Amino acid sequence: MRKIAVALMRAYQIATSNVAPRCKYYPSCSNYAITAVGRYGAKGVAMSAWRIMRCNPWSGGGVDYVDENLDSADVKSLLVMNEKLSMNEKEVVGAN
Amino acid sequence: MNTILNPLYSVVSGVIVFIHKLLAPVFGANSGVTWSLSIMGLVVLIRIILIPLFVKQIKSQRALTALQPHMKEIQKKYKDDRQKQSEEMMKLYKEHKTNPLASCFPVLAQAPIFFSLFTVLNGIAKNKPHGFLKGDYLVSAAQAKFFGAPISQSFLGSSQTTVKIVTVLLIAFMSGTTFTTQRQLMVKGMPKMDSSNNMMLQQQKIMLYLFPVIFAISGVNFPVGVLIYWSTTNLWTWGQQFYVIKRNPTPGSPAYEELQKKRAHKAKTEGKEIEGIDQNEAIEPEVLGQRQQPKKKKKKK
Repeated sequence: MRKIAVALMRAYQIATSNVAPRCKYYPSCSNYAITAVGRYGAKGVAMSAWRIMRCNPWSGGGVDYVDENLDSADVKSLLVMNEKLSMNEKEVVGAN
Repeated sequence: MNTILNPLYSVVSGVIVFIHKLLAPVFGANSGVTWSLSIMGLVVLIRIILIPLFVKQIKSQRALTALQPHMKEIQKKYKDDRQKQSEEMMKLYKEHKTNPLASCFPVLAQAPIFFSLFTVLNGIAKNKPHGFLKGDYLVSAAQAKFFGAPISQSFLGSSQTTVKIVTVLLIAFMSGTTFTTQRQLMVKGMPKMDSSNNMMLQQQKIMLYLFPVIFAISGVNFPVGVLIYWSTTNLWTWGQQFYVIKRNPTPGSPAYEELQKKRAHKAKTEGKEIEGIDQNEAIEPEVLGQRQQPKKKKKKK
């Protein structure tokens, strides 16, 4: 079920990638939904609905992850860092 | 489900019937022209309501020029990490209280309206009233024709050749307008970019083939009335964008340079000061002012 939902959303992304170029938030509403539904199922659907409601003309947008401790760029680059310990030390300092 | 959609049925059918009432004395109550224009009127109404959002978005896109140096800096700093790059970009927008990107809600909110229209028009074919479209109106709408095709019939639901021809033409029209809108934006409306340009061209090519397919698959199931709605929306989008690109192009885009050249030329031939460029120079400091203001109270929110 989750996989079907995620696949459908991917299809939506491909179909609309040029009509509605992007979203106010990062990650975009659809990417947010894919992560949320894939991870939490029904709860993820509710989270995505709330996110879309927030993505309105009166909101300023911004960075808004499903779970910042799992998805943010800093966390991900840290994971990469753990794999390649030796390199890029400077860049992570800069990123923080 | 119906409890949510019933009010929407009333709104959609109400607007259609209202416009029909206004136009009936001009074109006749049972005329296909009246009914077709009523559906188009619904589109025009929705899009007029959405214009302020569009203007707001354009304005924040203009404010972006001032942020250009910051953006380049970010792109340079995080050129190996796309995610971090996007994160920082969003933070920058937020800091300056401007966001050039469209919001998802207004786009998705149109889907229920579209669905309601679909149901209301299908109701006409099945002689099933929805909202205000009942009684005499239902009978009248059921026989209303758009270029010879009843507005309640669909490609798959009808054996009439006219219905098939009209639906195919409308689907072709929808594909055409979507593509030209996209192309217009790509070629003229956007600032020249370096690396991402190639990817966009590729996407555009995919769209060229994918859209007719999507429209064809969904379009054959839709009544002519829904296709009229869809085509009108597409045409409106194209026109709106055409106007903006001509009159108020994004700084840095080919259309912007064109407009400046035209203005300079006009001023020269009329022997006046170069008005167009002067104006643009006058605008820029203003934008700079906007940029600095939010910077000071950045932690306020």
